[in-house]
Amino acid sequence: MVNDKIDIRNLNVWFRDNHVLKDVSFKIRENAVTAIMGPSGCGKTTLIRAINRMNDLIYGCRTSGDVYIDGHNIYDGNINVYELRRKVGMVFQKPNPFPKSIYENVAFGPRIHKVASGRELDEIVERSLREAALWDEVKDRLHDNAFNLSGGQQQRLCIARALAVKPEIILMDEPCSALDPAATAKIEALIRRLSKKYTVIVVTHNLQQAARISDFTAFLYMGKLIEYGDTKSVFENPHSELTEKYITGKFG
Amino acid sequence: MNLESFLKSLHKLFMRLKSQPVEFILFFCASFSIVILLLMFLFVVKEGSLAFVRLGVQLIFGQRWETNSDLYGGFPLVYGSLMVVSGALVISVPLGICTSIFIAEVLPFQLRDPVKSIIELLASIPSVIYGFIGATFLAPLIASIFELHSGATALTASLILAIMVLPTIVGVSGETISAVPRDYKEAALALGASKWQIIRNVVLPFSKSGMLASVMLGFGRAIGETVAVLMVAGNVAMVPTPPWNYLAPVYPVTAVIAMQMGEAAVGSLEYSALFGLGSILFIITFVVNTIADVIVRRGPVTRGVQL
Amino acid sequence: MSGQTGERVIFAILGVPMLICMLIFSWILSLLLTGIGSVRWELLTVSALQGGMFEMIVGTIYLLLGATAIAGPVGILAAIYLVEYAPSRGLTRIIDQAINNLAGVPSIVIGLFGYTFFCRHLRLGVSLTAGWLTLALMMLPIIIRGSEEALRMVPASFKEAALALGATRWKAISSTTLPAAAPGVVTSVILGIARVAGETAAILFTSCVLITRGLPRSPLEPVMALSYNLFVKIVALGTPAQKVFGVALVLFMIVTSLSLSAILLRIHYRKGQPWLMIR
Repeated sequence: MVNDKIDIRNLNVWFRDNHVLKDVSFKIRENAVTAIMGPSGCGKTTLIRAINRMNDLIYGCRTSGDVYIDGHNIYDGNINVYELRRKVGMVFQKPNPFPKSIYENVAFGPRIHKVASGRELDEIVERSLREAALWDEVKDRLHDNAFNLSGGQQQRLCIARALAVKPEIILMDEPCSALDPAATAKIEALIRRLSKKYTVIVVTHNLQQAARISDFTAFLYMGKLIEYGDTKSVFENPHSELTEKYITGKFG
Repeated sequence: MNLESFLKSLHKLFMRLKSQPVEFILFFCASFSIVILLLMFLFVVKEGSLAFVRLGVQLIFGQRWETNSDLYGGFPLVYGSLMVVSGALVISVPLGICTSIFIAEVLPFQLRDPVKSIIELLASIPSVIYGFIGATFLAPLIASIFELHSGATALTASLILAIMVLPTIVGVSGETISAVPRDYKEAALALGASKWQIIRNVVLPFSKSGMLASVMLGFGRAIGETVAVLMVAGNVAMVPTPPWNYLAPVYPVTAVIAMQMGEAAVGSLEYSALFGLGSILFIITFVVNTIADVIVRRGPVTRGVQL
Repeated sequence: MSGQTGERVIFAILGVPMLICMLIFSWILSLLLTGIGSVRWELLTVSALQGGMFEMIVGTIYLLLGATAIAGPVGILAAIYLVEYAPSRGLTRIIDQAINNLAGVPSIVIGLFGYTFFCRHLRLGVSLTAGWLTLALMMLPIIIRGSEEALRMVPASFKEAALALGATRWKAISSTTLPAAAPGVVTSVILGIARVAGETAAILFTSCVLITRGLPRSPLEPVMALSYNLFVKIVALGTPAQKVFGVALVLFMIVTSLSLSAILLRIHYRKGQPWLMIR
């Protein structure tokens, strides 16, 4: 069964006088990987930060339009943003584990939402680390500082941390841009696996990466959604001339 | 750094300076602060040496300070200082730290600069003006509330001093809060942490050492404050009875120095005792500031800190 | 959503202290403004011998000008050394530490030092010069730290561009880095002046007297100052508040306008320099 998880309608975002996203509308499929690509500064990051309302906290940012998740408008006045962000996990460009132990990093989310403690929490930590394909590498040193991990491990830890609060959607903002090719390959494989259970949205400016990992691809240019469709058709047979130029490396 | 390599690098520095006149002048200006600090220590301690030799620990622990009988026991003064300073910190530390958190994390963005500017203005008001306000407005108020003859008490001094150190605490602790990496805040935010949870779980653990430093710097400010305290403390060189009576007058160390220097004959025991107290003050503030500085400089360590 | 209500309560509790700070400020302001009616402004230009404030105001300005003339150049050059020249981080750290310690020395101790060193050891006596030097010591850390910060904010690429064109190091710094940092440096000097404009304890024994016949004729004569006058009149002479209100108010206005201009200047130039917008 195929469902649309997120429905973005006429989304506009301004930073002060700067119109960053212009009337973006599209639907994101459940349990699939959607890649958002485009040259830098095209609004990719702003777009995914609109999905968990992280833009709210930027001074001078204004949003209009609607984003529906499971049919609920997240820009509705009485939505609980904290609950929203629990449901919509996020992984950042640069791995940003807390300066705490590996265990405490993963336990941070469950702790603040008071969903588990003791044995139950141990189980959540283990499950999340397994899901993030990190468990075998760290199971003997859960109480080491997270900074002792390599960059790729740190990024997977951040993914585990996001998984620990049982999200339904995972947003990833160029998760591999700070990593070497080997670590990137691991994360990419992980993203594929995660899409069986979660709706994954990945921002990337790496074309090959978008082609490799995603089921659907959106192409943004200057704040506008130029093209959106399943990855194969976007890459092999783009509708827009702009997309074709971008894919063939004429600019960007 | 061991001494030998330090001297070696110093030698190298001088060789270079000899060939570079511009750099030499600049270096001279930069090292000025060190020279002054050394001179300050030497001269103030030198003038106090007579008192150190003749009075010994009596200068701090002696019970009676009576100029007429040539008795210079500093205990009532030290006690007065500590009383006033601790009173001030009890008020200003919670106020200051809450304020700095509120400004940095809760206050709407547009209001931050104006509020910070007002607090900075509060810091720039000269102490003699605070003393004037304390003596003319606060002291009568205290006198009428507690039905005292005179409103010049340890409490009055504590209150004025609290206002005076507030900006220091707000400023320094605010700086450490704004040094908390944005990455961590965003990570917590994306996990669905509320503002308060971010403050408690990310901001506070990160900035607690900086907050401690702000308290120490506040202490250094408070213990050295002279004019304002002098104008409202009552200036009676006795430990209040009972010792926790904040409605009694006290005579803090700084006030004694300021009031009696004018009358003390150069070279007399009194003169030397005042410098002796001054050197103790110098050493205390030096140590406190150095510790605070080390804490701040070590800063919000991103490695190895356990939140 | 009880969590959010609880949060509101916590924020309200955190907000109260800030409101108290604001109330204190407005209280002080209102107290001082109540005196404005009783001040006779014509006294500004009347000699102190006839009950005016002329010599105090001019004396304060003399003290500030001299102290700035000493601490300004020394402080700015020291900051340039620390930012642009200092060879090792170890040395910079020691100097930085000394500067912070100097900033933390209580003003009364600076006054004691000024008295034994400048007045007695250097035989300057209780004089304008001794006051200049003493106040300069208090301004120095503020100027150095402020200028240092301003210099560090200028991108190294400015200087490198000049160096790449063959300029000497000093030429490169003085023609690119320094002009770019100038507003910040000026701000730090103004803040330094504001810090010592109302200083009392440091000039108590070094340069002030209660009354002089006219203005000092040489830098070796003592001087009158607003802060000193206010202090002595209240503490030693027990003058009623109404009579010194004018002095307090003038001093307050001088200091506050200095700090306010420094604050506004800083806000203004941070906006004006595009490279500062990049975090």
